[in-house]
Amino acid sequence: MRLLSPKFLLFAVALIAPVGGALAQSSQIVIAVPQLPTPKNVKTDGGDTGVLGIQIAQQIVSDLRTTRAIYPMGPSGLKQYTPTEAGAPLYPNWANIGAGALVTGYVQARDDGRITVVCYLYDLKQRRELARAGFAVASTEWRRAAHRCAGSFVKAITKRPSHFDSRIAYVAATGSRTQPVRRLAIMNWDGTDHSYLTQGEVTVTSPRLSPDGQRIAYMSFAGGTPHIRVIDIDGSNDRALLQSPSISFSPRWSPDGRQIAFSMAVDGNTDIYISDANGGFPRRLTTAPGVDTSPSFSPDGSKIVFESDRSGSQQLYVMDASGSGQRRISFGAGSNSSPVWSPDGELIAFSRWTGAAAHVGVMSPTGGGEKILTNGWQDEAPSWAPDSEWLVFQRTAQGTGVASLYTVAVGGGEAKLLGTPQPGADPNWSGAAQ
Amino acid sequence: MTFRVLIVAAGLVAAAASAQNYDPYGYPPSAPPPPPGQYGVPGQFPPQGPTLAIPVLEADLRAKAGSDTVRFARDSYVLTPQAQATLTAQAQWLIQRPFVQASIEGHADGRQSRDYAFALGERRAAAVRNYLIASGVPPEQLLTVSWGRERPTTAAVHDATWLQNSRVVLVLKQPQPNYYPQPQPFPQQPLPQPYGN
Repeated sequence: MRLLSPKFLLFAVALIAPVGGALAQSSQIVIAVPQLPTPKNVKTDGGDTGVLGIQIAQQIVSDLRTTRAIYPMGPSGLKQYTPTEAGAPLYPNWANIGAGALVTGYVQARDDGRITVVCYLYDLKQRRELARAGFAVASTEWRRAAHRCAGSFVKAITKRPSHFDSRIAYVAATGSRTQPVRRLAIMNWDGTDHSYLTQGEVTVTSPRLSPDGQRIAYMSFAGGTPHIRVIDIDGSNDRALLQSPSISFSPRWSPDGRQIAFSMAVDGNTDIYISDANGGFPRRLTTAPGVDTSPSFSPDGSKIVFESDRSGSQQLYVMDASGSGQRRISFGAGSNSSPVWSPDGELIAFSRWTGAAAHVGVMSPTGGGEKILTNGWQDEAPSWAPDSEWLVFQRTAQGTGVASLYTVAVGGGEAKLLGTPQPGADPNWSGAAQ
Repeated sequence: MTFRVLIVAAGLVAAAASAQNYDPYGYPPSAPPPPPGQYGVPGQFPPQGPTLAIPVLEADLRAKAGSDTVRFARDSYVLTPQAQATLTAQAQWLIQRPFVQASIEGHADGRQSRDYAFALGERRAAAVRNYLIASGVPPEQLLTVSWGRERPTTAAVHDATWLQNSRVVLVLKQPQPNYYPQPQPFPQQPLPQPYGN
């Protein structure tokens, strides 16, 4: 334990930070996260409140570690404090730990069986409070409280939403390639709290979480014809979006959650349509004789990026949400597919197909600044994290054809496997439900 | 019901083995086949139609038309001369058997995005559907489905399998209950009204 002394940590930060990547190091802030104290150690369903204080601090640290702007330290090796100090830190005590900011808080058992989790973020140099958050949650849900504490800290520092309390919907793919079994699944972004929404009796693809995180639009072969359905994330209220015999697919929510854009194929011609999220008569946005598909809204809802083969190969186009002003933005080699607009509006992620291979890349909404981020065999179907810093995508292995979910930082770096209980495809990352 | 199924199935097996111009739904051998677009004789079938032995019919389709599958070049929906010959034979087979419905199932090969694969499969299915209709098959006999790239025909993933997966398959179906026209009741003539009213 000698190695984990504060002095060593300070040294380690100085050592690791420059090696960890040349990205925005100057603006990286070190945050100390000591364990959260508890006024009285009470046994709850989620564990002793004293233990929860350590676990919540650990969760906050591992959340903050996934951001570029923050370097977290602790909770082991940091000194402890009393619950009364949580709202009024003794700044001189923390002056020499090598951190620019400090997380304090406490965990307290409530009479109704739940726990209160309170957390603060203090600027140690200017000696002022940067953020505070407090939650009363079921004691087994302590992890969500930790996610939301970490999220409020990131928001205070970077002014951006975080992905800590976000969820990922995807398609769990089992069975053989010729007789696959596909189930809708949803989990927290780190793989916890995993559940299935459909049981594999019909083939499903393309889940898309609504902006409020309460519903999923997806494509289903129920009844024989592939069509778009909408389901609540608890698995109830499953219904078809349209009363139409046509083949519809590729759904995508508008940022306000009121509309769904999608593709419909009628007699060999696929166009983009838009309809109310509760159904109703669809409105046609494109009329080109080719295939127009994969629509995705800009974050303000005023524009739609989509894929079209009207030029011969699949390329990316941008149009107004009314369907007017269509113009091509991608001119690279191969074909460009599956565009998704980032939540901050700065970039468009896409997959580039050359031969049988595919790679995930980003470009600006006007078409410049193209950058390929991955180097697997078939990397495709990117989806943005709420902070616009990460992408989740599907990587298919050459030879076996088994798909898995990977994440990659838009700033650069290796793609990382996102563990799922079964092979996963078609991920969709969404902001948190409140 | 079971008895009728047995009759139809047994008849089909016998037909596949021997007579070439056999019709399995009970016409006398001398009767001509019904004209296209007119499904059977009213009153002869129960409302849901006869229960068909689909595997036997599909084997018959493959034997008579050569194949139930046509293939395409990469990202193409153009029918090759070979595909057109197969489809012409399939159309003849379907015209002679108006009691069965066919689902035209289009597939893409997995070298395009999932969304584009659905559109491509539908495009191929529509090309086949248009060709069959132009060859005389009644439109109501045909359904179209796109499987996109979700159902490859081989488990292996390498260059030799791509063209096998770019295909349209004709899958025969038991018709929907409302597919067969129902016998209409004899129309009631309105009684002549007496004068003066």
